[in-house]
Amino acid sequence: MTVAPEPAARDGVPEAAERRLRSGAWSSGLSVADFATCLQMGMDPVGFVQGYAVMQWSWTTNRFGPSAAWGGFTVPGGGYQENYYCPHGYVSPDHRAYGMNVEQRWVEDAWNQGWWLAFDRMMDEARQLGAHGVIGVVDDRHPLAGTGTQEFSARGTAVVVPGADPPAEPFSTLLAGQRLAKLIEAGFAPVSVVAAASSVAMLGNCITTYQLSGTSTGWFAGAGAVTEIAQVGRAQWAVRNLAREQARGQLHGDTLHGTSMDVFEREMGEGSLAIQCVIRGNRVRRFKDFSPLPAPAPVVRLT
Amino acid sequence: MSDLLAAMAALRTPAATAAGRGVTSDLTIDETLLLHSVGWEPVDLVVGVSWWSLPWSSWQWRTGEVGEASQAFAGAMAQATDEMRQECLRAGGTGVVGVAVELSVRSTNIQVALAGTAVRAIDHHPRPPGKGRSAATFVSDLSARDFSLLLRAGWAPVSLVAGASFVIAPRRSASQWAQQKTQSMEMPNLTQALYLARERAMERMQEGAMSAGADGVVGVKLQEGPLAHNARVMRFIAVGTAITLVEVEHRTVSPTMVVSLDDPVVQFAATTLGAQV
Repeated sequence: MTVAPEPAARDGVPEAAERRLRSGAWSSGLSVADFATCLQMGMDPVGFVQGYAVMQWSWTTNRFGPSAAWGGFTVPGGGYQENYYCPHGYVSPDHRAYGMNVEQRWVEDAWNQGWWLAFDRMMDEARQLGAHGVIGVVDDRHPLAGTGTQEFSARGTAVVVPGADPPAEPFSTLLAGQRLAKLIEAGFAPVSVVAAASSVAMLGNCITTYQLSGTSTGWFAGAGAVTEIAQVGRAQWAVRNLAREQARGQLHGDTLHGTSMDVFEREMGEGSLAIQCVIRGNRVRRFKDFSPLPAPAPVVRLT
Repeated sequence: MSDLLAAMAALRTPAATAAGRGVTSDLTIDETLLLHSVGWEPVDLVVGVSWWSLPWSSWQWRTGEVGEASQAFAGAMAQATDEMRQECLRAGGTGVVGVAVELSVRSTNIQVALAGTAVRAIDHHPRPPGKGRSAATFVSDLSARDFSLLLRAGWAPVSLVAGASFVIAPRRSASQWAQQKTQSMEMPNLTQALYLARERAMERMQEGAMSAGADGVVGVKLQEGPLAHNARVMRFIAVGTAITLVEVEHRTVSPTMVVSLDDPVVQFAATTLGAQV
C-alpha cells in the first residue's frame, strides 16, 4: 500500500494532524504530577503539540561574503568582527600573518531558521486547538544519520484556561507543574520561550597559534611563556555576549527567567576554533505588585 | 480574580517597561523567591572567560610542581573573576551568585569559564560592609539558597577563591619497578605528589581568601587525580566561596526538625519488573 505524502507543514498544520487534533481524546507530555498541578492551577491540557524541521546547512555560499581578501574580511550584513595582525612583518607564505574573530551569521541564521520553524509549527498546532498557551516545552536538535542534515524539534502541552479571554497570542514556557505554579503565584505571567544561538569563528594569527600549541616561548612569539591567549578569551566572551544580546532582543522589556547557557567548541585545524553558544529561557511578565514571601523556615529532615 | 486569570489578562497588554533593559537570570523560580525573601533580586546574567597559554615543555623532563601551570591557572581564574565582577558592576549588581565554574587543563593551555546571575538588594542599598570592610562586588559559586541562608546567619560572600597545583611524580627506578610489579602496595611517589599538590592548592586558596579580607571559605569543591595527557602529573584544584561575618556575631539558624510520613516511592523497571526504590 502506498502512503500518500503528508502535505507540507510549512503552511500551517498538516491535514492528518488537524484531523487527529480535532478528535475527542486529548494527549499531553506532562508527568502525572505536572498534570495534577496543571489542573489544580486551572489549566486544562488539550493536546501534545509538536513541531519539526529538518535543515540542511550550507556554508559554501555565504561564509565570508565577496570581499574576502588579504586583511579585508568583512561579515556579511555586519556583525561582530575583530582583527588580529601579525607583529613580525613578512616571514613566509606559510606564516599566519592575519587572524580574526568573526561572527558566523550563516550558522546563526540556519540555527534560527530551523529552531523557529519547529517552534512556530508547534505553536500553530496550539492555535488550532484554541489553546491559551503551551507549557513544558522541550526542544532538541540532532543530526539525522547519513543525510547531512539536522532535525530540530519542539514539543509541549497545549492548555486552555477556562474563564480567560482568548489570547492575542498563545503563551509558551519551558516550565510546567509546580515550577509554573510557583512562577504565577510569585506574580509572573509566562510570555514566551526565548531561544538564541550565536557562533564565532576564531581564526588565530601567528601569536595565537603559538600560544595554543604551547610554543610561545621565544622572542619571536612576542609574548611570555605563561600568558593570556587574548584572541581566544575575547572570542569566548563574544560568543556568549552575542547570544545574550539576541536573547535580550526578544524580551521587549520583560524578564528572562531560568536561563540555560550551553557553549560548544570544536577545533577547525591548528590555531582555529568554531565556538557556538545556545541560550534558552522563559520570558515572563510581572502582573501583580511585588510581595516577597516571608523567609521560609529552615527544616532538617529526620530519616 | 485568580492569579492565573490575572496572568492571562496581563498577556493581552505589552510589558510595562517596554523601553527598559530586561532582567535576565539563570536562577530557578525557587531561587528567585528565596532571594526575594531576604530582600535581594536578580539583575543580569553575567559571564567571565579566560584562556591562558603554557609552554608544552612545562611538563617535560622534570619532577615536582609545574609552576607554569599553577601560574596560568591563577592568572586565568583571576582574570575571569575580574571580568565577571566588571560585568556585574555595569549591570548595576552588587554581587554574583550561583556561579557555574568550568575548568579545563590541557597540555598547552588552561581555560576558565564562569557564568552566574548578578544580584542586588531590592532597596538598592549596598550590603553592609561588616567589620569596617568596604562593600565591594562579590562573586560566589553558592546557590541562591545557600546565599540566603548565609545572609540569615549574619555572613556574606566576599569572593570566589581558588588554588591549583600540578605536581609531576618522580619515576621509579628499574629495580623498584621490578620489585613492585607483582605486589599490591602503595605507590609512595604518586601519593607524595598528590599530597604536595594538595598542600599547595589549599594554601593558595586560603591565601586568596585572606587577601580578600575574608574569614573563611565555604563550599570548597575539589578536583584531584592525574591529568589526561600525562598520568604522572597529579592535579589538585580547590574552588570555594570566601565569606566574612557582617553582623556583630553569628546568628544561629535554628531549623525545625521534621519527619516525613511519606512512604518511599517504589518504581518498577519496565523490562525486568524488578523494584527500583
